[in-house]
Amino acid sequence: MEKMLKKFIQNATRVAPKISKKGELFELRNGLVSQYPQTRKDAIKKTIQQMTLGKDVSSLFPDILKNIATSDVEQKKLVYLYVMNYAETHPELCILAVNTFVSDAQDTNPLIRCMAIRTMSMIRVDKILEYVEIPLRKTLQDDNPYVRKTAVICVAKLFALNKELCQELGVLEDLISALEDSNPMVVANAIAALSDIYEADESVVPLPKLIQSHVSQFLLALNECTEWARIIILGALAEYTAKDSLEAQEIIDRVTPHLQHVNAAVVLASIKVVIKNLPQVQANTESPIFSKLSSALVSLMSTPPEMQYVALRNIRIVLEKYPHILSRELRIFYVKFNDPLYVKLEKIDTLVRLVDPSNLKQCTLLLAELKEYAMEFEPEFVSRAILALSQLGVKYSEPKFITKVLEIIIELCNTRDSFQDDCLVAMCNLLRHAGPDQEGMVTQVCSLAEAWSSVENLLQTDYAKCNYIWLLGQFPQKFNNVERKLQASIDSFTQEESLTQMSLLISVVKLHSILPGSMLQNLLELATTSTDEVDVRDMAIMYWRCLSVESSHDGLINELCNSSLPEIATTLDTFSPELLETLLRELSLLSSVYFKPVSTMTKPKSSSGNHLKGKQLDELQFMAQDEILKNMNEDNLLDFDNDWPAASNSNYKSEAQGSTVDYLNDIFGLSSPAPPVENSMADLSLNKKDEKQKSSNTQDLLDLF
Amino acid sequence: MGNFFSSMFDRLWGVNREMRILILGLDGAGKTTILYRLQIGEVVTTKPTIGFNVETLVYKNLKLNVWDLGGQTSIRPYWRCYYSNTAAVIFVVDSTDRDRMPTAAHELHLMLREDELQDAALLVFANKQDQPAALSASEVSRELNLVELKDRSWSIVASSATNGDGISEGLDWLIDVVREEQM
Repeated sequence: MEKMLKKFIQNATRVAPKISKKGELFELRNGLVSQYPQTRKDAIKKTIQQMTLGKDVSSLFPDILKNIATSDVEQKKLVYLYVMNYAETHPELCILAVNTFVSDAQDTNPLIRCMAIRTMSMIRVDKILEYVEIPLRKTLQDDNPYVRKTAVICVAKLFALNKELCQELGVLEDLISALEDSNPMVVANAIAALSDIYEADESVVPLPKLIQSHVSQFLLALNECTEWARIIILGALAEYTAKDSLEAQEIIDRVTPHLQHVNAAVVLASIKVVIKNLPQVQANTESPIFSKLSSALVSLMSTPPEMQYVALRNIRIVLEKYPHILSRELRIFYVKFNDPLYVKLEKIDTLVRLVDPSNLKQCTLLLAELKEYAMEFEPEFVSRAILALSQLGVKYSEPKFITKVLEIIIELCNTRDSFQDDCLVAMCNLLRHAGPDQEGMVTQVCSLAEAWSSVENLLQTDYAKCNYIWLLGQFPQKFNNVERKLQASIDSFTQEESLTQMSLLISVVKLHSILPGSMLQNLLELATTSTDEVDVRDMAIMYWRCLSVESSHDGLINELCNSSLPEIATTLDTFSPELLETLLRELSLLSSVYFKPVSTMTKPKSSSGNHLKGKQLDELQFMAQDEILKNMNEDNLLDFDNDWPAASNSNYKSEAQGSTVDYLNDIFGLSSPAPPVENSMADLSLNKKDEKQKSSNTQDLLDLF
Repeated sequence: MGNFFSSMFDRLWGVNREMRILILGLDGAGKTTILYRLQIGEVVTTKPTIGFNVETLVYKNLKLNVWDLGGQTSIRPYWRCYYSNTAAVIFVVDSTDRDRMPTAAHELHLMLREDELQDAALLVFANKQDQPAALSASEVSRELNLVELKDRSWSIVASSATNGDGISEGLDWLIDVVREEQM
């Protein structure tokens, strides 16, 4: 009882933490200027302690700085740590440390020499940089490789802080000669520093040339340095194009042992170098190098999940170039129950990609596996698995197999509640691949869709709705009361997204002969007046135009309605060849995870900022003009009387627009989007174009949008 | 813990206690040379000090923490960071540099006006006496207006850092004064 009371009182009365009258900083300061060396050192330790806790002890800067000149290595290290952290808060006081830096850079202890030059180049204070020359030169020529390797990095730091000074001092030449150093660590750091400098300003160092002339040094250093230095050197080697197949073979031979390294980054960098040189040695698929690559990639899958994810993203790129490289290793990529979701999704993707489409046994195995996945609980995972099922069906591409896949999906659709969206999309993909003559499949799918009572509530995504309406338009004879179903969609037209709207347009136009005329009229009006989507509006206008000239061009409208869609060959997204080559060169970099080349990720350099800014105004003016022009053109579009000037105008404009878009990308530092487009979707929209674009000038007009 | 006890003992007996002495003066007066003359007894080639040098030396059983601060115009404003806990100031004057005597005098008096230096003893070295055109100690004293100094123990000594003349005499005087005041 008493205890409880005590506790209650303790909680009820707040006690302020005890602080001595003059505060902690005051006491620390007193300690720092004490007459006793030991007290000073203790005070420094306490200050650093506060610093690491995140407290602002920058006001102690001058007093800490007094302790920088000491023979005690421990104390020196602590003070240097403090100075690195707070130099920018007291730029003017940093000058007081210069003398110590300079004399420390000539200390007998290499650790201190190293520390001095490292700290000195790390402090972002202009005044300090003026004095960096002598110590930097001395340490670049130091006897100790540890000091040299540090000094080499310092050159890059100096360059980042003050380019002009760096060039003036001529230390870049020293840096270049460091590539010939006898110590592999120095070579690795030199190439790292040079690549950093090259990235900042290509005109300063001839990096590609240097890599050309130092390949043998790199290959020699490769075996003797630490793993991180190895990554740097391998990165440099990946930039090098071998002169002939002999040299390429030599590079591959030298790099191959590193494929078994324990560090995943080394492995990936080695893979990058090997792949870079593979085309030159013309290895056939049986050659041992492929099995080595394959086992290296497999070894990456025994890492923690985060690294697995990176590995999978890289594998995806490699697979696109060499699809058969991993086809025997299907099992490794099976999803484990305790994988995190992001790894699971990537694994499914990889599985479908690496399966060998000519191997029925493997495909059946994978089918069973994917079916298991589709019975799991995580919604994203199940959706992905259903998509993968259809991808697998399309990949294997044999009617019997597709029927099997379809059966699985239909079963899923019936047994599981909330995956109708994905199932429908998957089924439509399969139908699109199998072609309309697969009567059995069509009937199966349509009767399933027919059985759905309230489609509006059942299907959530734009994509699924789009597919549903496509199904209605494609196989109207399989549904009862198509008219009512379409009418329901037309009623909610304004709430739908653009894909569904377009699909609805296509289907209704296609079926206009069996639907009441008012329905078509109604839809075309809706699409031209109450949507913001330019594509949809444009399409409606186009259809309207075609339909209104029907009497004279009977063939046109027939063709429009009865053209059959081309088969989709694959539902796996692919990179464009250029992007693939770029990504292969950038394997193991961040860009390989994002699938975006480095060049699109970095912001425009600050030096060119002004330049761009200047352009921006012009560009904006140009865009404004363009906008006006466009508006005028749209007016023209509505009456087709003078379509020649419109066509020529639009030609000019589509060019102009292209460049505007490029410029906008530049200005905002946006990556030029290279989205892996869902192929089936691309086909769909292409088809729409095909259907309606019969005359060349309308094609031109379409290009506008 | 060991550190704690050792510092307790240090305090009790006054062992390990360091006297802080500053060497100030205009640039090129010879401060760094004097410091190393005291420390290792040799003439070292010096470069202009950007910042400071600090050396610990034992002189007549007294541990001295001698700070040599750079004399450039840009660094002079930061002298004040070093004033606290200072037992004595050694002000070095280039006796041959007649033109800048007023500047030196100005800096000296400015410095002595600081609160933190009220108890510090002052020793002025009229340095570079080996040079032919050097002013004598009394002339320097007049130039610096030393007689005006009240309530402070001060002294001026003619010295030459390069051949060592006058350095130890000056320091002897300083140590006596400091010992008297601090103990």
